[in-house]
Amino acid sequence: MPPKRKAAPAQGAAAKAGRTSAMSTPGPATPRSLDGSIMSDADEDFDEDVTEAQKEREALLGKEADDFVNKFSFAGKGLRTQADDMGQELRRYDAATPFFRKRDYSHLPLKADHHNRPLWIDPENGTIVLERFSPLAEQATDFLITIAEPKSRPTFLHEYALTTHSLYAAVSVGLRPKDIINTLERFLKTPLPAAVRKNIEDTTKSYGKVKLVLKNNKYFVESVDADMLQMLLKDPVIGALRVHGSEQITTSHAPTMVGLVIPGTQNAAGVHQANLRQAEKMPGANGVAANEADLFAALNEEDDDDDKEAVHAFEISDNSVETVQKRCLDIGFPILEEYDFRNDDVNPNLEIDLRPNTQIRPYQEKSLSKMFGNGRAKSGIIVLPCGAGKTLVGITAACTIKKGIIVLCTSSMSVVQWRQEFLKWSNINPDDVAIFTAESKQKFSGSTGIIVTTYSMVTNSRERSHDSKKMMDFLRGREWGLMLLDEVHVVPAEMFRRVISSIKSHSKLGLTATLLREDDRISHLNFLIGPKLYEANWMELSQQGHIAKVQCAEVWCPMPTEFYDEYLRANARMKRTLYAMNPRKFQACQYLINYHESRGDKIIVFSDELYSLKQYALKLKKVFIYGGTSQAERMQVLENFQHNPDVNTLFLSKIGDTSLDLPEATCLIQISSHFGSRRQEAQRLGRILRAKRRNDEGFNAFFYSLVSKDTQEMYYSSKRQAFLVDQGYAFKVITQLANIEKTPDLAFATPQECRELLQRTLVDNEKGAEEDVETDDLFGRTRRRGRAGGGGGRKGNGVRRTAGTLGELSGGQDMAYIEQNKAANRGLRKGGKAGAGAGGQSGFFKKIQREKDKSKQAARAGQ
Amino acid sequence: MVRAIRGVLIECEPAIKSIIVHFDSVNNDIIIEDLDETHLVVKENMVHVLKQKLEERLKETYRPEEPLQDSE
Amino acid sequence: MPAPLRLSELDVWVRAEGKMQRDRALSILRSLHIIQITPPGKDKPQEMQLTTNFKNSLRLALEGGGKHSSFGVPSTLPVDARIDIAHLDGYARKKWEDILHYVVNSVPVHGEGLGGGSAGGPKTSVKDLLLAGRLVERRHDTRGGVGITQAGFTFLLQEANAQVWTLLLLWLEAADHSKTAEQAKGFSTEHKPDSIDMLSFLFMLASLELGRAYDTDALTETRRNMLPALVDFGLIYIPREDTRQYFPTRLATTLTSSASALRSVSSGFAAATTNTSNDAASLGLSSAAADPPPNNAPTTNKGSIIIETNYRLYAYTASPLQIAVLALFTQLNMRFAGMVTGRLTRDSIRRAIGFGITADQIIAYLAGHAHEQMVRAAAATGRPVLPPTVVDQIRLWQLENERMRTAAGFLFKDFDTPDEYAALSGYADEIGVLVWRNDRKKVFFASKFEQLRDYLKSRKKAE
Repeated sequence: MPPKRKAAPAQGAAAKAGRTSAMSTPGPATPRSLDGSIMSDADEDFDEDVTEAQKEREALLGKEADDFVNKFSFAGKGLRTQADDMGQELRRYDAATPFFRKRDYSHLPLKADHHNRPLWIDPENGTIVLERFSPLAEQATDFLITIAEPKSRPTFLHEYALTTHSLYAAVSVGLRPKDIINTLERFLKTPLPAAVRKNIEDTTKSYGKVKLVLKNNKYFVESVDADMLQMLLKDPVIGALRVHGSEQITTSHAPTMVGLVIPGTQNAAGVHQANLRQAEKMPGANGVAANEADLFAALNEEDDDDDKEAVHAFEISDNSVETVQKRCLDIGFPILEEYDFRNDDVNPNLEIDLRPNTQIRPYQEKSLSKMFGNGRAKSGIIVLPCGAGKTLVGITAACTIKKGIIVLCTSSMSVVQWRQEFLKWSNINPDDVAIFTAESKQKFSGSTGIIVTTYSMVTNSRERSHDSKKMMDFLRGREWGLMLLDEVHVVPAEMFRRVISSIKSHSKLGLTATLLREDDRISHLNFLIGPKLYEANWMELSQQGHIAKVQCAEVWCPMPTEFYDEYLRANARMKRTLYAMNPRKFQACQYLINYHESRGDKIIVFSDELYSLKQYALKLKKVFIYGGTSQAERMQVLENFQHNPDVNTLFLSKIGDTSLDLPEATCLIQISSHFGSRRQEAQRLGRILRAKRRNDEGFNAFFYSLVSKDTQEMYYSSKRQAFLVDQGYAFKVITQLANIEKTPDLAFATPQECRELLQRTLVDNEKGAEEDVETDDLFGRTRRRGRAGGGGGRKGNGVRRTAGTLGELSGGQDMAYIEQNKAANRGLRKGGKAGAGAGGQSGFFKKIQREKDKSKQAARAGQ
Repeated sequence: MVRAIRGVLIECEPAIKSIIVHFDSVNNDIIIEDLDETHLVVKENMVHVLKQKLEERLKETYRPEEPLQDSE
Repeated sequence: MPAPLRLSELDVWVRAEGKMQRDRALSILRSLHIIQITPPGKDKPQEMQLTTNFKNSLRLALEGGGKHSSFGVPSTLPVDARIDIAHLDGYARKKWEDILHYVVNSVPVHGEGLGGGSAGGPKTSVKDLLLAGRLVERRHDTRGGVGITQAGFTFLLQEANAQVWTLLLLWLEAADHSKTAEQAKGFSTEHKPDSIDMLSFLFMLASLELGRAYDTDALTETRRNMLPALVDFGLIYIPREDTRQYFPTRLATTLTSSASALRSVSSGFAAATTNTSNDAASLGLSSAAADPPPNNAPTTNKGSIIIETNYRLYAYTASPLQIAVLALFTQLNMRFAGMVTGRLTRDSIRRAIGFGITADQIIAYLAGHAHEQMVRAAAATGRPVLPPTVVDQIRLWQLENERMRTAAGFLFKDFDTPDEYAALSGYADEIGVLVWRNDRKKVFFASKFEQLRDYLKSRKKAE
């Protein structure tokens, strides 16, 4: 991964924050460029009311992350030269060679039994091609997902890329360079090219050699290589930080997973929890670990001797941890963090375990075994598709570590969900799971416990109330065993930096569905959190029934001439509105809703464009939620959508992109999206992956993207799909919806109506200079909202329109709608506020209320 | 009095026609006669330029291919 | 066989288990009008005999009588021992591959890699022939200055035997054409070969024995004049040192046989997958000929291309020619021994379509060469072999090209009367110059002007 840094945050987060406010001013949404910068999370603005010291720390971390990224970028150039030198005399030339330029590797000899080996490798850039139909494919896949980055995983052949970060991750989960090289050699059809071998050796040489271990509440720098420790001690910076008076270097045995059982696994079922802390031999320690061991042991039989490896360590003081980390990075030995939680006698244990009947799925187990591979907790990121049970992975990790846990979420609703999940899956005492949000500032009762909060709660200090300050002091003043970071892909690096530098935790686990950012900050996450420990294969999980099978389609909607003429003349922002308001698109949406409602589907319609969201929902008489919808109304709408058989279609703005758990939904329609965001596309798809009915015979969920033909939307649409397409999803292009003209009450069926719609759209949006930025996640605190605001959060608004919430990250900029359109919505809201059972002004909502009560009763009866 | 005007007849989708009309609106130097939603007559010497501009324009609606060498 | 032969006597020569072959042979001989068999009857046993025509011609041929040297005249001169069948096969393959490579526009930049001989593809005369036959056309945007056409792509997909005939027919046509041209100019046509004679020479070549030297002096002048071209096509070989001898190659000797001399491009793919380490075998000539390859028959039919839903393409082949064919519509990426990777892209497909290759041809090609894994998976799931989304997309890319049609001509408008409009547009339609009309607006577009002007004048005069 070559360093493709755009904005160097080396000047520090604070300076950046001040500067970027101009960027998030909505204004005319001239696409700033068609590349990633428009989606750039670097444009983030968040408050800078922090102490100088904190700023400095953050700036430092920012620089370190950059250094980290730079230093360990895959040495592509050097590698290429080597490959050329090496291949010069061997290379062949024939008529087909020019088609490949330098990428003709047909001179690499095939091994005699190459038919039985599943891999090819590009000696220059480390791209690996895997034959999925090989008998060894399963083993090879397991191996590759550990050492390489998946790039393409359709049906027959997969492609992976060896990158610096992927190798780093491999080393950090316990693979040694020779494991990697030998296993590759075994799976490859050609001998492992010398350049690749050398590159793996060079890259991994410095990784994972030095570990930072918190043991008995003391920090140790640990290594299996005594010489390396000696070298570190001779380093002027590090040497000076060794705790004097302690033994210079202590030696002990390397930790193993022996005795550690990840709860919820097959093994755990038979093991009494009391045994957990006895680090004694447990027959058949762990299923997955054993499997992995099988694989690697079979590959490297000679490694058996190394089992009782000795480790060496020296102690450093608490306050020198960061300095040592940084110094190690500077001299080329990035430090790995590990938490020997079983030997942590200082931090109190948390009474928590998975409920006895809880079984985790094989891939969840696999991902956790990477985290706890050697019996300690490693920090890192686990990537699972939405709906694949990320929460349970997090909870299981918590049940394994059994220390104080802090969970960071993207919204306050998500906070509530996490707490509920903890109560659902584990035996934790409800008093020990506390919530820290704007509305609720609890602490746990005992000596330790779980705190669930949002990123913004712990990073935003400006609006902090007295209670919050006290709460923050509480959070800062403790040592946490595990920090669970939800949806890490949406959180700006600066925010992480602040979280991580202000809250002390022994291990960090990041969870996400898509480790995709349109900026290049993913690599920063590797530094701030840790390597990617595991990434699941979407198609595989779907075939196994863990997530729903989805049919994807892109529906092309031609624009009526008047609309298109207007589109050609319009400015960029109006263009977006026009392609969303395309009457043919509206009809397609209407048609699809009719069709899917009639076959019993529950439908979510997504629109990033608030104006069209409301126009569509109101015209089609469907419920909708957007940033300005009050909390109570949101709850009411969602409840209806879930339980009311008459409410089958829900319109959502992008606040519903993430963290919304609606297993009832089986069909998804996008009418407007955030430019070319692959992440949003994947996240939205995720909304239907956990469909309750997914295991019904022949069940399919549906995902439609409606795009206006011959507009930029086409371009964005295909860009958005890139990630999913590489996961094996196929988007069918639909150019004609059969019998759409027969749809009852088809909207905008006459040219007259179309013209009126066009005029109205133009007029309404011309006045749209009045901006309102959607600032919120679904259920999130609504901070500094504009006039559309529901309750609260108005202070501090005014001139600064640069709300810096997570919602904006996923594309809230340039969002506008105008006052007059709220009329209908206000009606709805009143209905909502009127409370359960009471009649609002909207007859529609009265009905919903009645149904809601009914279905509540039904639900109760059903339980 | 009947007239015969030399030119090139273009038959195309409405959207393409809209784009051509849009181009023409700058200097009015392309279109000779706007016939209907899908037909127009343009100046012979502008056809080449027109095709180029059109291709460029439509490119905005397709994702440019990433080179395969983009080893990320 | 002067007298009829009884079938019962024939049976004596045939083993019981060979009866089927006997029957088949007899039936072929009959269909070619070589033998006649009397109908079965009670009083007379069935007999077979040579047909009169065949008997006479055969006698003539055997006695060397008449003017025809039907089976050629073997050379009496000493034959260079190095010119064996393998040598001839190698030579013919090289020549033919050069032609195919030229068609797919992958002429090697340097002559290396394909053995000695004429570097840089086929002779100019052959190139001209391909151009004249519109298998390729001149283009400025390609490496070789020429690009394949739709006919060229169809040509590539043919069996080798059919390819040879396609080329030979183009050649005959060209010869005919130039003859007519010269006749028109009043030149003598004496030594211009006429196509009938050329054709019969080709048939004669087909009957010659592979590996044997024949005498060039025994040929008529007309036929001797054909030799250089046949050398260029790779149908015959003439040693540089001794031009009095010519050797028919397998391309010539199998011209009229139903068995394919060379595997077609398509099956060459398969040959490559079974023999990945040796690209010399890519066209399969060495192991080809009339007898099918032993034992590996099923594998030779194995397709080699995998196309994924994300448009990535993998082809298990080592053949440069196969790869060149893929390169026509694929953006190639990496090449390993026996496997190449690439991707179908909008640009790569549009380029192919620019050559005149159609979306359907590409789809047919991909389907026809689908890897067995694809075929198997399709069979297991009951779905089509090629991902439907990819097939759709290829077609959509083609449609993009057809979004605007242009026609040069004249717009007729401002008619004085509806009658005038009706008459003139009607006339334009009649003489086939009407391109488009709008009766409501009373305008029409015609490709020509003069005749309509004249018609209008005469109409006015008549009034």
